[in-house]
This record gives sequence, C-alpha cells and structure tokens, in this order.
Amino acid sequence: MTPFVLSFVMLALLLVMLVLRIPIGVAMFVTGAIGYVSVSGWEPLMNHLKSNPYHYFSTYSLSVIPLFVLMGEFATRAGMSRALFTAANAWVGHRRGGMAMAAIGGSAGFGSICGSSLATAATMTQVALPEMRRYGYSGALATGSLAAGGTLGILIPPSVILVLYAIMTEQSIGQMFVAAVVPAAIAVAGYLIAVQISCYLDPDAGPAGARMPLIDRFRTLRSVWPVALIFILIIFGIYGGWFTPTEGAAIGAFGTGVLAVTLGGMRTTEFLDCIYGTARITAMIFLILLGADLLNAFLGLTRMPTEAAMMIVEMGLSPMAVLLAILAIYLVMGCLMDSMSMLVLSIPIFFPIVMSLDLGMAPQDQAVWFGIIALIVVEMGLITPPVGMNVFVINGMARDIPIIESYKGVLPFLAMDVVRVLILVLFPGIVLWLGSVL
Amino acid sequence: MVDSLDSRADTPETSLHRLISGVCNIFAVLGGLVLVSIMLSTVFHVLGRVLFNSPLRGNFELVEFGSATAIFAFLAYCQLNRGNVIVDFFTARAPARVVSALGMVGDLLYAAIAAVITWRLTLGMLDYRRYGDETMVLGLPTWWGFASVLPSVTLLTLVCLYTAGLEMHGVIRGGRQ
Repeated sequence: MTPFVLSFVMLALLLVMLVLRIPIGVAMFVTGAIGYVSVSGWEPLMNHLKSNPYHYFSTYSLSVIPLFVLMGEFATRAGMSRALFTAANAWVGHRRGGMAMAAIGGSAGFGSICGSSLATAATMTQVALPEMRRYGYSGALATGSLAAGGTLGILIPPSVILVLYAIMTEQSIGQMFVAAVVPAAIAVAGYLIAVQISCYLDPDAGPAGARMPLIDRFRTLRSVWPVALIFILIIFGIYGGWFTPTEGAAIGAFGTGVLAVTLGGMRTTEFLDCIYGTARITAMIFLILLGADLLNAFLGLTRMPTEAAMMIVEMGLSPMAVLLAILAIYLVMGCLMDSMSMLVLSIPIFFPIVMSLDLGMAPQDQAVWFGIIALIVVEMGLITPPVGMNVFVINGMARDIPIIESYKGVLPFLAMDVVRVLILVLFPGIVLWLGSVL
Repeated sequence: MVDSLDSRADTPETSLHRLISGVCNIFAVLGGLVLVSIMLSTVFHVLGRVLFNSPLRGNFELVEFGSATAIFAFLAYCQLNRGNVIVDFFTARAPARVVSALGMVGDLLYAAIAAVITWRLTLGMLDYRRYGDETMVLGLPTWWGFASVLPSVTLLTLVCLYTAGLEMHGVIRGGRQ
C-alpha cells in the first residue's frame, strides 16, 4: 500500500470510529498513531510521544485558547447579556419584531466578548425569551432569532475558532479578527432583515413594544460601554501589534473577570463554576488538538494533502466549482459534527487544496478569506434542520414551543446566511477591505 | 463550540465516585488557579511594558509552563464529566446497551492513549533532567514542566479506566439510566 492510499484507508477508519461514538480527539489520535507506525515504524512514534505532547500543550501561541475560554466564562457570569439586550431593546423595541431584533443585537454584543456560539445562544435565551413570550411573540420568531443570533458568537471576534484557524494555517490572528468584522456586520444586517421578513409573513409574530424617550435610550448605553471597550481594545490591540494574542486574551479575561465581580456579583462559588466550565471546554478542545496533531504528523509523512491538491489542479476543474464542492461538504458535515472539531479535522486536507486554486487573490488574502467563509458555512450547520444544535439548546429551554416551530422560525435566517455566503464568495473584497484600510 | 456534548447525567452515589470526582475537581481548580495566575502575570507584563517600559522578565516562559500544567490538569475533569465531543447523530436511536458498549471502547482507547503518554513523558522527563535543559531567560529546568503534568496524565489514565468500568456496568445492566 502506498502512503497515499494508506492515508485514505486511515481517514475511512477515522470516519467509522466517529460514527461509532468514539470521541473525536481519541479517534484522530488512534488513526494518526496507526498510520504513523505503518509509515515510519514504532520507534519514531514512541520518540515523538516522549516530548511532543508536553511541548505542544506548552506552545506559547496555543495558550491564547484557555485564556479566551476563561474570558467567555467570565462574560457569561458578568450579567452583560441582560444589559446588552435591554440597551438594544430600548432602541428598536417599539418596532414590529423589535424585540427579536434586540435579541440579535444583544447576541452580537455578547459575541464580541464571548467566543462560543452555544454559550451566546444559551445566555441570551435566558434573558430574551421570557420577555418575548411575555409580549406575545410567536415561538417560531422568538426561538429562531435566538438560535441565529447565537451563531454570531463564533463569527464575531475574538472567537476561539478564528484563533484555531489562524494557528493551524499560520495566519496572523489579528488579521483573522479584523477580517471577520465586516462579515459579522453583514450577518447582523441580514438577520435584522430576516426578522422583518418573518414579521411580514406572519404579522402577529412580533408585536411592537412601547417607545422609549431618547434620553432613556442613551441611559441604557451606559451599562454596555465596558463591552465595547474590551472588544475594541482586544481586536485592535492585537491587530495593531500592541500586544500578542495571548496578552490580548489575558487582558480580555481580566477585564471580563472584573465585570463579573463588580456587575455580575461573582464570588467564590461562581468563580469555581467559571473554572470548572473553563476546564471542561479547554480539555475538550485540547484533546481534539492532540489527536489532530498526530493525525497531521501522519498525513504530512504521506504527503497526501499536497498530492491531492496537485491532482485537483491537474484535473483542470474550475476553481469555483472546487470551492463550492468544499463548502457543500462543510454544510453537510456541519449538521453532524460540532464546528470546531470539523474545522480542525478538515483544514489540513482542504486548506492546501484551496490554496492551490487560482481565485485571483494574493495567497495570504485567500487564506484569510477562505477561513471566514468556511467558518460561516460550518456555523450554518448549527441552525440547519434536522439537527441544528443551537435550535436544540434553545428549544430545550422553551418547553412549550414545538421543535418544528423553532425550525420554521429559523428558515428566514438560514436564507439570509445563504445570501451572505454568496455575497462573500462573489465579492471577496468585502472580507479583505477593513484589513486593507487599517 | 460545545456543540454535541454527551450530556447523559451519570453520577453514581458511591464513595469511589465521590473520591474520584473530588480528586478531578481539585485538579481542575488547581489548573484554573494556574491559568488565572498566568492571566494576572501577563496583565502585569503588558502594563509594565506599556506604562513603565519594564516588562515582566520571562513572562513568556511562565505562560508556557503554566498553560501546559493547566491544560493537562483539566483533562481528567473533562473526561469524568463526559465533556469530550462525540458524533451522536448516527447512534441516537441505538439501544442503551450498544451505546454503553461503544462508550466503553472509546474510554478504553482513551485510557490506552493516556497510559502511553504517561509512560513516554516520564521517560522524556528523565531525558531532560539528564541533559539539564533550561529555559532561556529564567533558567527553569525543562523537566520541571514535564514533572508538573505527570500527576495529571496519571489521573487521566485512571479516570478513563473508571469511566470504562461505568460503561461496562451499563452494558451488563442494560444501559446507564
């Protein structure tokens, strides 16, 4: 068996293990280890494991991840979700569907200090869902807007997945963050339009609330400025090179930690909860990274990713067709797997292929652009029926709303996602613009 | 990000379980305190550099030591609390016995990985101690870092065997409740 064929056999074995509920990191580690031994032998693998697990986990650039996870945990405790929702609602609550728009805006604000979609969806639901139900919002619009709003958590920087993509593809974390800003703004705009479409289709879906005097509206902004400050400091501090991503994450975690103590009333018990949450998510991520590291070491030995990329180039397919095929795979897989494991698993194989395509961009621009597109497509899986993890989580918190209602409610938002992906694929300049003017 | 957690609640009321989960909690909290420490030292480092032009010497090395120590300390807690990501789409309707059996296979594979890593890192630590490798700025012996993660991977191995035992119990009794 040539190494090239072996790599495909191993990937098939990996998929079988995934279907059979083997934890993703464990499955990658096992297949990577078997492949590594088949190509290089037992001794080299044993030498690799003698120091690599330690050195990998102590890599300075990876230390940014537990710090951002900690920041997200503190942010969840800081009670900022209520302040953000209240502030957004003060400005748009008097419109039809305004409270759903406020949920989108609040999710966007929360996503700017929390890098996880599920955490964003869950926290914002606790705050906004009871309010929307009280004002007679339909279950479809209420849960649909919250599920869609949650996906902003991962796109809006700082986000753990953007960091992982940057590290794995050796791009600058600051550039990834800045590149995500405009697509995130487009996402928010698209979701606001989706709320209006929902209200147009079902005029009773989102009754208008009371109008607030302008002075009170500005007053609500006072409690959310720390969020804006932390967001701007981190994104532009890292991009501008004032500090490393790890330093930015430490500052962000410290800032949200202070908010959690002062505004959220975090004491020892709540602090320990944050630590346990951080432990759980960090360990989950690093088991996957450990497995991916060994699998990638094996794939590197077989040279499969580069050879596959060369073969695709020689086939002379249109670059756009290849790209769309990859995005289609992401969309389908995104419904079955969680977004982070999927990106970690697929980047080593897909990234060389994408980089070999001539899409008329400078290589570095293409890398950044593809990361943003891939992230958005993967995230769509979070709200795509019949799985859609975000929909599940939110529906679980709203027992009286049938899941089919939630799926219906999410459809206008999914449609806007499709439009957004098409726009960003056809006009890559939108993703690259902010980085080029800063 | 935690998109497909295996969220079946499973907390047997035995003294063994209390002991194991107590130890895992202690490791998680210690790891968390290390993480918070590197967060604070890094904030001081940046403030010192920006305000007084005097960065904390060797903060880079403390972050590297600290993050490895913290991350390894988190692994056992995550495994005991079923925090690792699995794809459950294809087995969502499988009988509880089958699910437990597959869970046991996964736990045993993880146990094997953890055991091999414990073994190899122990040898790695001895190597580094023999060569006297040190960090550049602070001169910390590299083997200290290895030594700080060995208790964590040892605990991880035991916890994986324990959770595999729980799953085996599930296979015999017809699935976890």
